Amino acid sequence: MAVQPEVKNKSLLETALDLADDTFTRITAGISAGEFRRMLRGDPPGRPNPRLKPHTEAFLLHIKPTYYHESVTRFTHTFRLGLLSTYLFFIETITGIFLMIWYAPSPERAYVDMIRLLSNVPFGQFMRDLHRLGAELMVIIVTAHMVRTYLTGSYKAPRQFTWFTGVILLVLTLFLSFSGYLLPWDQLAFWAVTIGTSMAEAVPPEIVGATVNLLARGAPDISANGLLRFYLLHVFFLPLVLILFFFVHYYKVVHFGISLPAQEEEVGQDTASKVPADRRVYYLPDVFLDETMFLIGFTALSIVLTVFFFQAPLESIANPQSTPLHTVAPWYFYWLQGLLKVADKLWAGVILPGILLGLLAGIPYLDPNPSRRGRDRRVAIISGIVAGVVMIVLSWMGTPYYAVQAAPAIEVVQELMPEEGAGLVREMGYKHMPVGVYDTRDAAAMQSHDEHFQELLHEFSGSIATFDETDRDFNDAYGILTITQEQPQLRRINWQIQWISGQGLEEDFTRNFFLHEDSLYWEQYGLRDFSYLSESEQAE
Amino acid sequence: MRKPWYYWLYVRSPIAKIVLGIVAVMISIVVLLAQGWMEERRMQAQTNNWEGRSIEKGAEIFANNCSTCHAADGKGLPGVAPALYSRYFFTQRMADVGWTGTLHDYVALTVAAGRPSKTKSQWVQIMPTWGVRFGGPLRDDQVEYVTQFVLNWESDALQQSWDPRAAEAVRVATAVPITPTGMLTATITVTATEDVTPTTGLTVTPPITQPNATTATAAATEIVAVTQTSNATSTSDITSTESATATTGMVGADAMGQPVASAPPAAPAAVLDPWQPFQDAPSLAAPDTITYTVGTLGAAAVGAELAATAVVTDATGAETAPAIIPPEQLFVSMACSGCHMLGTVGVGVIGPDLNPLPETAGTKVAGQDAETYVYTSIVEPNVFINEGYLAGVMPANFKDRMSEEEIRGLVAWLLDPNRGY
Repeated sequence: MAVQPEVKNKSLLETALDLADDTFTRITAGISAGEFRRMLRGDPPGRPNPRLKPHTEAFLLHIKPTYYHESVTRFTHTFRLGLLSTYLFFIETITGIFLMIWYAPSPERAYVDMIRLLSNVPFGQFMRDLHRLGAELMVIIVTAHMVRTYLTGSYKAPRQFTWFTGVILLVLTLFLSFSGYLLPWDQLAFWAVTIGTSMAEAVPPEIVGATVNLLARGAPDISANGLLRFYLLHVFFLPLVLILFFFVHYYKVVHFGISLPAQEEEVGQDTASKVPADRRVYYLPDVFLDETMFLIGFTALSIVLTVFFFQAPLESIANPQSTPLHTVAPWYFYWLQGLLKVADKLWAGVILPGILLGLLAGIPYLDPNPSRRGRDRRVAIISGIVAGVVMIVLSWMGTPYYAVQAAPAIEVVQELMPEEGAGLVREMGYKHMPVGVYDTRDAAAMQSHDEHFQELLHEFSGSIATFDETDRDFNDAYGILTITQEQPQLRRINWQIQWISGQGLEEDFTRNFFLHEDSLYWEQYGLRDFSYLSESEQAE
Repeated sequence: MRKPWYYWLYVRSPIAKIVLGIVAVMISIVVLLAQGWMEERRMQAQTNNWEGRSIEKGAEIFANNCSTCHAADGKGLPGVAPALYSRYFFTQRMADVGWTGTLHDYVALTVAAGRPSKTKSQWVQIMPTWGVRFGGPLRDDQVEYVTQFVLNWESDALQQSWDPRAAEAVRVATAVPITPTGMLTATITVTATEDVTPTTGLTVTPPITQPNATTATAAATEIVAVTQTSNATSTSDITSTESATATTGMVGADAMGQPVASAPPAAPAAVLDPWQPFQDAPSLAAPDTITYTVGTLGAAAVGAELAATAVVTDATGAETAPAIIPPEQLFVSMACSGCHMLGTVGVGVIGPDLNPLPETAGTKVAGQDAETYVYTSIVEPNVFINEGYLAGVMPANFKDRMSEEEIRGLVAWLLDPNRGY
């Protein structure tokens, strides 16, 4: 725009205002300042609708539909779970890039890098916790998205292929989460992934299973090669495939439109892409505002959760020579671990999950019922609920509470002070573990002024008593907890449990642990311990 | 369409939505600022946390591997290994060995690669190479954990005080000047009294429990016993008695100085530096006199080593093959005895008991005779692991540290039912 002749024709002020309006329109990709004001006021759009321009001008908006059916914009129809999954992938990418800066995928460095990230990088722990929380939420949200789609029957014609790509996205999400699991190179990571990859071994014939396992691990056991492979899968290959499938998935969603609530159309009909003019809700500004504010709210929630209620775990450095007691897979694979406890590796690790996945992906092609209404789909909905309950039961069977109880004495100690992770003693910490000898037979010795320690003593004797009652091989049991000062700021915690076995033999179990004053152990979920703030003030 | 019952929950006003969004943004900013305000202290707490956890891990490794020789409380065992929980160790040791780096590096290197120098040492058993880079079982991070644990004694060790009179008494009583004659005498004497010297200090001290006053006294008695046998020619009875008194006095204080449950920290004056029974400290020795203490296990091997050197020196030809050290001395100097039980010389419980070896060796691996089995187990320890033991614990570098003849000799000796232990 040539300014000089403009100024000659109009006044200077008018020219400046026109210029400002022009700039505003460029930034908003086609919305003038006046139209923006009308949007904020809630005025209806004019004809032709000037608010459609950004959908052709702006890249990010051109993939969004210009309007939705009013019924599908209600929060409770979709819960915006698909949007949320996409947004979580975005959060994971941003935090992941931040974490990559301080991480090298080699066994010599990976674990040390994690400790450095936690103790030397401002906001390093925050980014790691947010990344981990985002990963777990993503698994939950993607699954919930699938459940919602199943319950509303939205996978039916013409959206069969949308569902199919969705199942692939779910599998990719699980693999992404699982491949990231190994990267901290701690005991938790190492053994969970060892269990996970060992299932690949069961693929028949033997040569295929062994080869798949070898390709995943990079060696017969997970080591430098395996770590590098998982890293590349996690940061490169899987995200790329996921992005590809995401675009296919989203293209289909836009192409067919979000399915309407089943009651609003005839059985077998699909009117989602033919929205009558009076039911249209335009993306700009209404849906845009909803989505943006929803994501902002969700971001705030994630930040609050990360800062106060969630800490990503980090155990001892990976040690291929010692398997910690009660090694578990990540929680979203508990069901698989539960299956492995009741069936052999070939069935539980390959055939059943394979059938399950095939069924899941094939549901739209197998379900002959054209109706999406709940009362026409009783069989489908009930079998879905049954499948969900079976998954939950199998998940429970995957936890250490089912069928892998060690000897009672070991379990008593494991519960209070596990080989890896926190447990009650480490969460209480050094300051609540007074030096002394505490014998469960001596009621006087089992009293303490420290209520935390009192709780521990209570747990200790209670746990022994419970096992004494329930286990026939564990009679007349008593425990002695001895806490001694080993070094400055270091206490030795000695657990000794004696009992009479079923054959009438005296048996005993002893386990030593050390606890340092400065150690901070934490549970993954729960209110974070901020006591270090007050402690450093006292030191000053 | 009918309105659902939860319709009132929907936020419908665009302004209300925007306000809620702004509130969420402000909450996020406040929370992030709070996190930023805490970061400095959080990072400090995390730094301390991981240092604390290293010390915990180090304590575990020390209890499992090091305490057999250095004692569970780190105060060392006379004749076996020096004290680490010692004021001398933290203040003078580096100067005495001529180490110019930090104490941290000295400890880390010694743990990883064994003692830097064998000269001017009273210790016959060589510190094994624990680091995986030098053939041992510990990874680099584990070496670092143990180092952190040992260095954590510092503040307590600096409270110890030195008792020059007791030290001098012990030194005079137990020192043997290095002359070939002296050493040979010592060797002969000890060999002769092998069965008499019961090495009580070693067998009594279990690797896990802390040595109490009784075991410490036993150790002291043992020193005196050795003193009496090995120095029969040069030391008078009076000196021996003196030494006994001095040592016993030290032991009493020692027991007091131990971390006792619920007791307040002992007064600094009462805690004596446990380095006193050890003579491996040039800065404490009289000028121009290099002295060695002969420990229980020590005498035989030191003598043999010197004798071996003497043989080489005596021989006129420079190309004489290096002397072969006899197996009974290799068993001690290669530190086999630190981990394996064998008669009165082997003290450890980390590796399998070797006493029944002559009977069992031939049956361990089908189709392998006893010699092959024992030989393989020495040069490639991880090929066959006994039930209940871990692979990767025994150093895998013995092939480089002993000659072929020595290994063969050791195998034959271990399999000899009449080996005399």
